Amino acid sequence: MAVKRQLSMVLDLNKCIGCHTCTSACKLQWTNRNGREYMYWNNVETRPGTGYPKNFHEMGGGFDQDGALRIGKEPSAEDYGVPWEYNYEEALMTGTDPWLRPNVKPTWGANWDEDEGEGDYPNSYYFYLPRLCNHCENPACLAACSRNAIYKRQEDGIVLIDQERCRGYRYCVSACPYKKVYFNEEISKSEKCIFCYPRIEKGLPTACAKQCVGRIRWIGYRDDEDGPIHTLVDKYKVALPLYPEMGTKPNVFYVPPLSPPKIDEAGGATAESRVPLDYLESLFGDGVSAALETITAERAKKAEGGESELMDTLIGYRHAEMFKLS
Amino acid sequence: MQRTLATLTTLVLLSAPTLSTAQVVDDANVKLLEAYDTVKVSTIPDGIYLRTVNDPDDIIWERLPEYRVAMLPAPAVHQSVELRVNYDAEPSYLNMTLARTSDRFYVRLRWVDDTKDTETAFDRFRDGAAVQFSMGNDETSYMMGDGPDSAVNIWYWRSGSDTVQNLAAGGPGSTTMLDEQPVSGESDYLDKDGDPNEWTVVMSRPIDAAGDHNVSLTRETVPMAFAVWQGAEKERDGFKRVSDGWIMLDMGSE
Repeated sequence: MAVKRQLSMVLDLNKCIGCHTCTSACKLQWTNRNGREYMYWNNVETRPGTGYPKNFHEMGGGFDQDGALRIGKEPSAEDYGVPWEYNYEEALMTGTDPWLRPNVKPTWGANWDEDEGEGDYPNSYYFYLPRLCNHCENPACLAACSRNAIYKRQEDGIVLIDQERCRGYRYCVSACPYKKVYFNEEISKSEKCIFCYPRIEKGLPTACAKQCVGRIRWIGYRDDEDGPIHTLVDKYKVALPLYPEMGTKPNVFYVPPLSPPKIDEAGGATAESRVPLDYLESLFGDGVSAALETITAERAKKAEGGESELMDTLIGYRHAEMFKLS
Repeated sequence: MQRTLATLTTLVLLSAPTLSTAQVVDDANVKLLEAYDTVKVSTIPDGIYLRTVNDPDDIIWERLPEYRVAMLPAPAVHQSVELRVNYDAEPSYLNMTLARTSDRFYVRLRWVDDTKDTETAFDRFRDGAAVQFSMGNDETSYMMGDGPDSAVNIWYWRSGSDTVQNLAAGGPGSTTMLDEQPVSGESDYLDKDGDPNEWTVVMSRPIDAAGDHNVSLTRETVPMAFAVWQGAEKERDGFKRVSDGWIMLDMGSE
């Protein structure tokens, strides 16, 4: 879907420390109330892991190789995790309940498998994958909506659900292969990440990007050749979309994580990376190897005291250079 | 609505020919309608009232003729429906009673549904039913109308609350809630021992209703069509069962 300009985001997974500040910022801004409590428009999941909602990547959606919409599954409440609250008032203030306890039995949640990862010591590994709506060039949610309630803004490519048009059919929920459209049971309508458009329209970055303590996020227009998105995605090709085979052409890109070498039985380093290349390729496609080689080479340049435009961009010295919103 | 003690007595004395038939209309006596058949809307004389305005279980309904239409999966008009629809499904049947007083029009729907779905939740959908009227004649597409000048007026009931939405559409995907909401309704789910369970839904509207997209019921002939949604099958939107073509209502005289 051609738009005049496309806002995009790049996230460097080498810098993500899994602190969930982005998620907290998003939740406080948008989803801590009114039927959205269970939703994480932005979440950070541990990889390898089940993701949020649970095993979303096995729920289908997106497009097949011929470009036809594929049917997907709508996650259950349990797949997301039923939110719970604690009886702080009774347990800590009035003393009417001797125990501090949740009001529903917690059986699953967005980060139930946090930091589990895979592999055995000394070759165990995991990394963090923050996720939000990809504001796709070819949004499956938009294609699936029979009421034209979902639209992509011409001026910045942000994908939004018209709350006046939505009648809660949830075709979008099943069609999004990233499961980033959520059904609000209280109002019987679907809702999703709005790329903080009220902030964007004031020249401010999204809450998740602004609050990120690891400074892992860049925002800008794809066609801005002086901006960070063009540098990372198009010029150096170190930022890649998640699950590109789903056919939606995401506008959120990830710099894949480098990792130390695997250790052999004698305790020596092998030529293999700790995070297996084929696992990263299963997430980000076949550009991973070239991206990791480029980052390794540029990092070495910088370490030796040389100049590296790529490293200077990835370091993210100044917010003004990380967020190019005009 | 006020209740008249004389209701039963008066009903027995009614002169309408249909009232001489059996007290309980079983399905063998229910006429199966085909597309474009004409049906005379029964007249409930002034002074006869339902116990409540849309009482689905009122004894009046047993005295009025019931009809039925075959319900088949609606032709998909969007890929999201195409991905889900099963055109090989056996037909189901929707029974209806059509009635009017001098100032109100009633439709009573009755259909078999063994699963009562009254909740909207993750991956859960409600049972529903709708009736659709052509604003014009029977050349308007019975599939939600075709364009703003060939619009349809839809009354949409969804289980779990007896709110009936008054909607208009000018083609698939254009369904719009109207400012005026003059339609009311009431439902009853019969959990029947041994027999299949049934929904009964009554929807009604004053004959005179202002608003650009409220169907005129003062015409002699009004084209009407029907739809049901099976919540347990996750039916919603155009993923539904519909009657074929229009049924032509003969509105009769007041």
